[in-house]
Amino acid sequence: MSEHVLNSIGLFVPEIILVASLCIIIVADLLLKKRTHAGGWILLASLVLCFFAFSAQSGINTSAFFAMIAVDPFSVFFKVILVISGIFIVLFSMQNKELIPYKNRIGEYYMLIAGMMLGMFLMVSSTNLLMMYLAFEMTSICSYVLVGFTKKSIRSAESSIKYIIYGSVSSGIMIYGMSLIYGMSGSLNIFEIGAALSGLESAPIFSMAVLMITAGIGFKIALVPFHFWAPDVYEGAPMAITALLAVTSKIAAVAMLIRLFRVSFTGVDATGMMAIIPEGIRWDMMLAVMAAAAMILGNLAALWQDNIKRMLAYSSIAHAGYIIMGVVVLTDQGISAVMLYAFMYLFMNLGTFYMAMLYANKFSTESIEGYKGIGYRAPFTAVALTIFLVSLTGLPPTAGFIAKLYIFGAAINAGWIWLVLVAGVMTIVSLFYYIRVARNMFLYKPEGETEPVRFDNFTTAIVLLLLTPVLVLGVYFTPVLEFIKHSLVMFGVQ
Amino acid sequence: MLSDFGSILLFMIAGVLFVAIALFVSKLVRPHRPNADKLSTYECGEEPIGDARIQFNNRFYIIGLMFLIFEVEILLLFPWAMVFQDLGWYAFSAMFVFVFLIFIGFIYELGKGHLKWDLPSPAVPEYVEGVGVVERDIRTEDDEFESDGGLTFK
Repeated sequence: MSEHVLNSIGLFVPEIILVASLCIIIVADLLLKKRTHAGGWILLASLVLCFFAFSAQSGINTSAFFAMIAVDPFSVFFKVILVISGIFIVLFSMQNKELIPYKNRIGEYYMLIAGMMLGMFLMVSSTNLLMMYLAFEMTSICSYVLVGFTKKSIRSAESSIKYIIYGSVSSGIMIYGMSLIYGMSGSLNIFEIGAALSGLESAPIFSMAVLMITAGIGFKIALVPFHFWAPDVYEGAPMAITALLAVTSKIAAVAMLIRLFRVSFTGVDATGMMAIIPEGIRWDMMLAVMAAAAMILGNLAALWQDNIKRMLAYSSIAHAGYIIMGVVVLTDQGISAVMLYAFMYLFMNLGTFYMAMLYANKFSTESIEGYKGIGYRAPFTAVALTIFLVSLTGLPPTAGFIAKLYIFGAAINAGWIWLVLVAGVMTIVSLFYYIRVARNMFLYKPEGETEPVRFDNFTTAIVLLLLTPVLVLGVYFTPVLEFIKHSLVMFGVQ
Repeated sequence: MLSDFGSILLFMIAGVLFVAIALFVSKLVRPHRPNADKLSTYECGEEPIGDARIQFNNRFYIIGLMFLIFEVEILLLFPWAMVFQDLGWYAFSAMFVFVFLIFIGFIYELGKGHLKWDLPSPAVPEYVEGVGVVERDIRTEDDEFESDGGLTFK
């Protein structure tokens, strides 16, 4: 037994690095009271170390800790995405002006981000329903506190309370669904569940269970009809945390959804094609309807928003719809499209949030109307924001176009024509509200102050780091595709 | 035949019936002579005062949470102590990591002053010309930051 544990610990090195950094942040918070962002630098260093530790794990395909987690190329791919976004979130946090009044407690802030990253690492790799639930809750509880971190702001406190109440209800529903699955299959291990379910007749209670689990995971992804928390919470949370919720935890939840549904609820039919088990359950149709609803509601509601955070919240609901399209199609092509989308979405959405944060810092406005004339005062960042928004719309030659192209291609190949039609029409709708920001920045003269605004080199470097992938991956994305092709291996799935 | 869930249902029904029957039988048998002392709320032999739903200092939650953590630690340490000679260094290191993590948390609580049990300073009402009665917090800014770790009292 201890040999198995030792082997497992060898596979668990990145997570152990993160836990160690968590402890160091706590101690540093107590000892280095003068250095405000000491915790941030420690977390940054440990995330970079994690990145290299994950790179060393490429090609490993095994299970650890008594089949609790799997270390496979699929999880490593998503962990790399999570680490990259985590690094950017920490860099954002160091510049976020909303956090300055709380600099005495900033150590706690980075500690909670470390805990949330750990939870998300476990989310993408767990292969046991209980482990999934624990990882999910670990992520959730840290994010509840982080959303309410700027507790003297009424908006932040309100959004935190809303997030806790909705979040705990939805995770309660999810664990009820999991208990039903456990009752029907007699196991918590997702492989054994898959094996047990393939012999079962379909029953209404099974559809209920799948719907309940989707309610829990869909809450994190902000999929319609579990999206209602997103606008309020995104608006109230500190900007860096909004980006964390919109990008990192969303991608982690998508990965967990794919693993659970691919392993437990998908089998192989007589002709060797992938099929849903038990027969007669149409969870693909259920997810397709949710995805279509998310795209329609997210894009149409975003049209009326004036606050950039609310606009991005609805846009992220719409993007949840696009991402889930790839899960619906039930093929490896679909999953690889989701992975590509997640990779592109990371850079373009983080970039947009970063710009929104910079403008909130400099011009103290979160209103899109307040962006008038920024294009003349800060041309470089305004052009960067425009490129990020164009990429979110999905126009060539940006990364967003390639991402959408692959998702739509996978859906058309699998015969989901109506879904692609909805997505296409809604993409055109999304052009209106994304371009409205660019129009306000460039087509109006600045009101009041007109002198140019300078950003420091650190800021410019981060903007370039985010902007380069968005532009380069729009034309040259073969390495990413190769990486995804090698990462399309899930433990225990042929 | 009963399924596994069926036997759980039977178990639940039996549980409810058991309590109901016991209460019903004791109602039949017991004498019924109520008086004021008997009907009062039992509070460890003390005379009950006021309502149970009062506002109390929220640092009790922190103390309660810490008590819970160390209680769990003790619960885990007892069985560990029984077998740790057989399992050797493996059990030792596992428990070491566990206790170490709790220790770090404890240090943090101490360092942030969550265990300091000084009373919150009162907000003194004061008459200001032209404004009226204001409640002024007599603490300085520094004090507020020191206690600002989820524990601010007004």
